[in-house]
Amino acid sequence: MPDSMKSSFRRVAWISRITFLEAIRQRFFAFLIVLSAALVISSVSFRFMDFGHGELKFVADFGFGGIFFFGSILALVMTAQMFFAEIENRTALTLLAKPVGRFEFLVGKFAGVWAVLGVFIFTLCTLLGLVLWGRHQELVQIAEASGRVPPDLSVGGIFAYTLLQWLRLGVIAAMVLAVSSVARSFLFAVVVGAMTVLAGQLQWIAQEALLRDKELGVLHQAFLWLITRLIPNLQQFNIGDALTLDVTSVQVGAIGAASLSGGVYIIVLMCIAGLAFRRREI
Amino acid sequence: MLRALTVVGVALALFVAGCFAENSWRLVRTSIPEMGRKEIEPTLGQGVLLGILGGLRTVIADGTWLRSYVAWEKRDRAACEGLMRTACALDPRARYFWENTGYVVGYDMAHWEIRRRGGYAKVSQEIQDGLFKSYAQKGLAVFEEGAKHTGGNPGILISAGQMCEIKLKDNKLAALYYKRATEATNVPWFAYFLCAKSLWEDGQKTEAYSWYRKQWLEKLKGVGDSSPDDLEHLRYMEAELNLPLLQRIPRQTWEK
Repeated sequence: MPDSMKSSFRRVAWISRITFLEAIRQRFFAFLIVLSAALVISSVSFRFMDFGHGELKFVADFGFGGIFFFGSILALVMTAQMFFAEIENRTALTLLAKPVGRFEFLVGKFAGVWAVLGVFIFTLCTLLGLVLWGRHQELVQIAEASGRVPPDLSVGGIFAYTLLQWLRLGVIAAMVLAVSSVARSFLFAVVVGAMTVLAGQLQWIAQEALLRDKELGVLHQAFLWLITRLIPNLQQFNIGDALTLDVTSVQVGAIGAASLSGGVYIIVLMCIAGLAFRRREI
Repeated sequence: MLRALTVVGVALALFVAGCFAENSWRLVRTSIPEMGRKEIEPTLGQGVLLGILGGLRTVIADGTWLRSYVAWEKRDRAACEGLMRTACALDPRARYFWENTGYVVGYDMAHWEIRRRGGYAKVSQEIQDGLFKSYAQKGLAVFEEGAKHTGGNPGILISAGQMCEIKLKDNKLAALYYKRATEATNVPWFAYFLCAKSLWEDGQKTEAYSWYRKQWLEKLKGVGDSSPDDLEHLRYMEAELNLPLLQRIPRQTWEK
């Protein structure tokens, strides 16, 4: 590896380390992780509200829902906050006056935030895994005593879901960084980022409901087709309950393909962020 | 010029990423339940959106189902059916939602309609029968949709068969539903009898016996204690059909 690349990696690692330490000390992070953990733990107590699902499905859905919701908020707000804190405190100016490239700065910020999101996701998924495993053991005993078929639970599936969610949050963080690179204010970045996430989560409905609509004209359909390929499809990472409780319903290669797609999105969005940030006046 | 090229480059890069996502989505899609736009559209503004976004779908489906009970108590047909169908759309693989939506639409709503028109004394018997049949058809459509989404759940198919028997008075159709239920992997033991009974009551006595006999010899005989209740029903049929001894099922060693 050439020396210039080595030193570039060192600079990126240094920025990401500082970003990670700064982000993980934030009260907002602590608040969201405590709130999500409470939701995950309390999911077992809420199972009496369930109608006709497997008990583990309800608990898993409750936990995955909390992780999905609070994880998205964390990725949106923290990424924008970490970026704009540097701009507003003028530390970005000092930093970029040194031999640090703008793209290196962005990659460092992204890596730091993504690492914090990793801590969030892995902590909560481990907790949810423990809750599910504990309840699964009880249900297996009950099923054995009553001669019923015990429910399935795949620990590997929880791990796969964790990785997919981490990738999803990475895509969101990269999206917010791309928006922040052109945005003038924190609020604008968060609002536009949230809208993009919303569009990304709902674009599969547009694909399935609108593109199948035969009443639409060719132009309208072509426009929708293009839009659904330009907006990242974030729903592809949400197969937690299938991975955990019905792993046979997941096609071979689905996790690999979703991971590859997430990786490509992160690279493309970071390149866009880099392009936009290169021209930005700080 | 450079700016335009940059914009095109960015769009192209996003498009390439979109193509990767398309490939991944094709593989992932089978793990995510189908969701009809028509079912969720009327209730989108009422908290259902979060369920569509990704997580908490089961929880929101449960919440929507609870809200449908409020409409059920008020006998509000539109709201009740709308909310119940939303719960089905949010979690289409749950048998409970389809089965109970079918029951409410097929059994309860005709009574609500009759009451709304002034009560049983004011509505003629002919119109009442028409209403019962038309709502039963709607309930049956819900069961059909539920069977499609749940991979032919035998519970839903048996409920559909019961509705054909009770409300449509159509034993032939009921037998078809029961027969479909017997083809499922986790079929309850009584589904075979229900199918044979429906065919029998439809007047297809020989067909009912042949089918039931075939099922008993091929499937039920080898299950548990050889299904003695089913054999008892078969013996009744043999007696009713006046079958010669040689055409009957050979006497079993354990038979009373």
